[in-house]
Parts: sequence; C-alpha cells; structure tokens
Amino acid sequence: MAVVSIPGGGEVDQLYADTRELRLQGFLLFLVSDVVLFSSFIFAYLYLRNSGQGWPPPGIARPPISLAALNSAILFGSGATMHYALENFKRGNFLRYSSLMLWTILLGILFLCGQGIEYTTLYFQDHVSWAGSGIFGASFFTLTGMHGFHVFCGICYLVVLLLQSVHGVYDKNKYFGLTAGTLYWHFVDVIWVVLFSIFYLI
Amino acid sequence: MSVIAEHGGIAEHIHPEPQGFVRKYVFSLDHKIIGIQYIITAFVFFVLAGCLAEIIRIQLMHANGGFVTANTYDEVYSIHGSAMVWLVIIPMLTGGFGNFVMPVQLGARDVAFPWLNMISFWLFPVAGLMLFSSFLMGAPVAGWTEYPPMSLQGGAGTSMWCAAIFLVGVSSTLTGINFLVTILKMRAPGMTFTRMPLFCWGQLATAPLLMIATTALAAALAALFMERQFGVPFYDPTKGGSPVLWQHMFWFYSHPAVYIMILPAFGIMSEVISVFSRKPVFGYRMIAFSSAAIALAGFMVWAHHMFTSGIAPYMQLPFMVLTFAIAVPTGIKIFSWLATMWGGKIHLTTSMLFALGFLVLFTFGGISGVFLAAIPFDLHVHGTYFIPAHLHFVLVGGSLMGIFSGMYYWFPKMTGRYLSEFWGRVHFALFVIGFLGTFLPMHWLGAEGMPRRVASYDPQFQWVNQLESIFSFIMTAAILIFFVNMLYCIRNGKKAGHNPWGARTLEWQIPSPPPYYNFKHIPSVFGLPYDFTEPLPYTHLEDELTDAPVTVGAQ
Repeated sequence: MAVVSIPGGGEVDQLYADTRELRLQGFLLFLVSDVVLFSSFIFAYLYLRNSGQGWPPPGIARPPISLAALNSAILFGSGATMHYALENFKRGNFLRYSSLMLWTILLGILFLCGQGIEYTTLYFQDHVSWAGSGIFGASFFTLTGMHGFHVFCGICYLVVLLLQSVHGVYDKNKYFGLTAGTLYWHFVDVIWVVLFSIFYLI
Repeated sequence: MSVIAEHGGIAEHIHPEPQGFVRKYVFSLDHKIIGIQYIITAFVFFVLAGCLAEIIRIQLMHANGGFVTANTYDEVYSIHGSAMVWLVIIPMLTGGFGNFVMPVQLGARDVAFPWLNMISFWLFPVAGLMLFSSFLMGAPVAGWTEYPPMSLQGGAGTSMWCAAIFLVGVSSTLTGINFLVTILKMRAPGMTFTRMPLFCWGQLATAPLLMIATTALAAALAALFMERQFGVPFYDPTKGGSPVLWQHMFWFYSHPAVYIMILPAFGIMSEVISVFSRKPVFGYRMIAFSSAAIALAGFMVWAHHMFTSGIAPYMQLPFMVLTFAIAVPTGIKIFSWLATMWGGKIHLTTSMLFALGFLVLFTFGGISGVFLAAIPFDLHVHGTYFIPAHLHFVLVGGSLMGIFSGMYYWFPKMTGRYLSEFWGRVHFALFVIGFLGTFLPMHWLGAEGMPRRVASYDPQFQWVNQLESIFSFIMTAAILIFFVNMLYCIRNGKKAGHNPWGARTLEWQIPSPPPYYNFKHIPSVFGLPYDFTEPLPYTHLEDELTDAPVTVGAQ
C-alpha cells in the first residue's frame, strides 16, 4: 500500500488518507441533518410561542436562569477540555490527552446532573410536566430533552473513543475517530447556545 | 479474478468479492446489487399500492360507494398515497436507479459508504411492512398528508404510520449523505462537475433535499407520535397547540419531496433523449444548473399548499410568486430537451417513447401546477379532484413514466438482456390511454367541485367516475404486461451485449451486467459524454471487455 505524507509532517497509507476525507465529509453532512432536526423543533417552539398567549403562558414561571447558566458554563468548559484533549493527542502527549478526555466526560455527566436537578425542580415544585403543561412543557422538555439525549450519546461515544485510544486504535497520524468526537461535542455545545438563548434569555 | 495492487486512489473501495449467497445477494455491499434490491422491493410495494388504487376506483364506480365502508375507503387512499410516495417513487429513483447507475457513471467502484448503503436499504422494506401492517390496527384515515386534528384521533395505525415513515425517512437521509459524498469525492480523474452525466446532476440536486428536507419531516413525525402516544400537545388546538404547525413542517419536507421525486426522472430524460436523438444535449449547463435552481427554490415554496389554511395574506403572495418562478427552470429543461431532439436522428425505442410521453404529460401536469399556484384559482379548487388530477399527472405522468423509461433503458445493463420491445410498445400505448382516461377527466370533476377523499359523491358525476375506473383497469393491464415482460426477459430476453443503445456514458463501456469492481482500471475523463460525432472522451478503458486482471487504484 502506498504511503503519502499529510499536512503536519506525518505519513499514512493512501487508503486512510482517502477514506478520512470521505468520512469527514459524511460526518459533517450528518451534523447538518442533525442541525435541521433541531431547527425544526426550534421553529415549532417559536411558532407556538408566538401563537398569542404571551410567554411563558399564564400560570407558568420561567425556569431560573442561574442554574442553567452554571450548567452552560460546565458544558462550554467541557468543550475547551475536549479541544485540548485532541491537541494533546496530536502532539503525542497521551497522558494529558487521557486526563482531559476524562475531564470532558465528567463535565458532560455533571451537565446531565444539572439538567436532572432542573427537571425535578420543575416537575415537583412548579408542577410543569411534559404532557400536562401545554405548549410550554411540550417544547421545553422536548427540546432540552433531545439535547440532553445528544449529550448522553456524546458521553457514550467519548468513553468508546477513550477505550479505543487506550487500546492503541489511534496514533499520531490516524485519529479520525477523535476528530469526529470533537466535532460532535462542539456541535452539542453550539446547539446549547441556541437553546439557552431562546429558553432563558429572550 | 486476480487483483494487482498499484498506487491507491479515491476509488480504492475494494472489498474482496463475496462468495456466499447471503453476502452476495442479501446483505450485499455492492451498489449494483443494492440498487436492484431497491428496485425489486419498490416494485413489490408498487403492486400492493396499485391494488389499493384499484379498490379506490372500484368504490367510485357507484355514487353511493358500497364496495368498502367509508372508513376502510379512508384507510385505503391514505396508505395508497403514503406507499406510492415513500415506498415506490422515492426509493425507486434514488435508492434504485441512483445506486445502480450513478457510481458507474462517475467512474467509481462503489458509493462512498457501502455499509451505510446496505443499512439504508434494509430499513426500507422494514418500514414498508410496518406501513402496510397499520391496516391490522386501524390504518390512518387522514390521507397521506395526515393533517391534525384528524390524525390525532383514529386507531393505533396512525402511530405505526408515523414510525414507518420516520424509518423510511432515516433511510432516505442516509442515502442522501452517501450520494452527496459519493458525487463530491468519488468522481474519476478528469470528471469535473461540468463533465458529469446529467443523471448524476439530477442525483446531486436530489441528495441535499433527501438529507435536509427528510430530517424536517422526522421532527414533524416525532412530534405527532409524541402527541398521539404521550399526549404532548404540539398540534391540538384545545391544549394550545396548532394544527397549522404540522402543515408548515409537513410541507417544508413534502414540497422538496416533490422535487426528490422528479429531479432524478429529469436526469433519466436527459440521458434517454440525448442517446435516442443521437445528438449532444442542448444546453448541458442550463439543464444541470436548473436542477440545482429547482432544488434550492423548492425549499421556499411550501406554503403554497396552505392558501386555505389561514396563513397571513402578506405571506401568501411571495409564496405564489416563487412558485410561479419555479416554472422557469423547469421550462428551461423542457425546451432544452425539445431542442436536443430538433434535427436529431430519433430512434423510437420503448424507452424513448416513454420519454416523449413524459414530456407531454409532465408538461401538462406542470401547467396545472402553475394554475394551482395562483391563489384565486387554488381557493376555488382546493380539496377537489383537481388536486389528484394535478399530482397524478406529475407523479405518474412524470416520475413513473421516467421510471419506465429508465427501466427499458437500463434493463440491458442490469441483466445483459433486452426487454421485449413489442410488449414494451403495447405497455406504452395501453398505459398512456389508460392514464389519460383515468386522470384527465378529474380536472373537470375538480373544477365542477367534486371533493376528493370521500367515499360517496353526487350522482351527476357517476358516469365520469365509471369511465375513469374503466380506463384505470386498462392502466393496470399495461402494468401487468410490463411485469410479465420483465419476469420473462430476465432469463429469456434477447441478448443485448455491453452497449445496445450506442450510448456514451461510462456505464455502457463495461460489460453487462457490470462486474463486481465495475472497472478494471479507473478511467480518466476528458470531455462531455454527449458528443456523438467525437471519439469517446475516456482513457484506460481498453481492457474492460477482455480478460485482463483488475487493477486497483486510479491512474
């Protein structure tokens, strides 16, 4: 199998270099279709929100911004640790990479815990539920729940990636899985920016 | 077959050729086998949905119905529409012809992600069985569009419908991603975008629609499913939801889906008309770019389905104007094909006959579409038989005629044998007569105000409906002839050789059926495939019809 050099100075076989491009593009297109999925639900939420009852609808209090802001900080922090994890892996700094990956996973779990606290408060204290609180409950729990599910999938994916890299699946020049994981994690971050703005800020 | 490894290339998607029956024909990774699997499965669903169509026609023979109950009638037309759109035309044109033809036309050995391709395919029959199984638990009754609040009532079958369409949507999305990457990255050396065959341009315009629009439908279906199963209020107006929201989300998918169903057929037309006129395609670039323009504009016209749904008047006008505007790129295509034929040496093969039929019938359906885009006219005929008349002219007279044309054209490539031309002509003649007799009078019924989707109607329309039903039996007979022709000719048809039509795209330069690796050497391309007076614009193809070993990698 022929060997080609790649930007950055390493050498990989041609098959990897070619399929890497295909997989990267395929993965990006998958993220695009996921953006459309979120956009559709966001459109539905904004459409219902503007259908005339005022927002939030009478009898429902907005969820507190403080917990959500703390949660956002945790998620954005995990985006940073993920970024530096990949950078360290590229430089061959495996130990730092592993600990940063662990931090990313931990922060992701913390984010989900924060969301769990928010959900239980809303449900038990304010009696806001998915099906019983009109369009507020429907759109809030559906959208944040869908995002939470994406975070959960992301955590599972990162655990798999970490185990794979411990077993030596990736090396300094071949790390497409880690690229995909990083892209996915940043994607989840960006979606959260939008959700945070439309549910808590405006 | 021995394989010599040279330097690698983008077409390096080589898996050793599988040997067992299951690996070779069932869970195959080969785009050609998967394409044929799609075509066979879609034809099976076509037969089932066609039987439902005949139940509709038999019911309408009498003004008071009586063949089935009104509720069963509602179930029948709902599943007929859903199955024809999602299980027949879309999979046939994208998964079927797209898979079989497109990678070979690009000079690739497979699609970008063969595994994903296999998964896409296997989701499709599962989804189809789920859709038809909804009859067992009370099928949906609100038509293929399933508008709430009606779709919120009804039996468990509507939830099953949601799940089935969601699944076939996932299949479409994955196919779209796969095809887009294939076209962007897997073209043979020298195959620039402006040298791509026009069928590939059709697929290139379709793939983003599959990928983006279908996901929006998935969201709408998920919300409908959640509302039906868990009571989450999105669409129910009594709980603060909005039925119009569904219409927005549904048509944001389903209008682009109209172009998913016609753009690949446009691609087939460009190939067939050029080959059987023995002339270069007139206005190659205009045809190619108008596909992209139609795909883009298709996202901005969905609300023209909703002029009677109470959307704001300031929104209606731009949607009307944009819908009119889509007639321009479509007209460019029609006139380019006419100009392609002008002065050409026209061979009236069955495939070409269907292409000519397409031109007439699709143009007719397109013009009634422009009528419907005009708000005053639409308000008059919305919900009447004018709508089924229009949509059957574009989907049967357009997409299905395109599928037939493509089948007669590529059957020799798939099997190595011709379809019978005589029975092909009989099929064409009966089909067009039956089609016109069935759907042409519906325009008049619609303008007179006969509502669609009802099991009984005003007796003054009975003679027209009886006439339509009789003609629909002729159409069914034509389709039966087509199936018998195919089944017979798979084994007993006249041998066709590798290039029976004298076509110049890449798939015709290799043996029929194409070998597992498609090409022994990946060809290089240095021109358009439509210039019939020039030598073929390919190099490295000299060994394709010999016993030379396969070379791995591009030159």
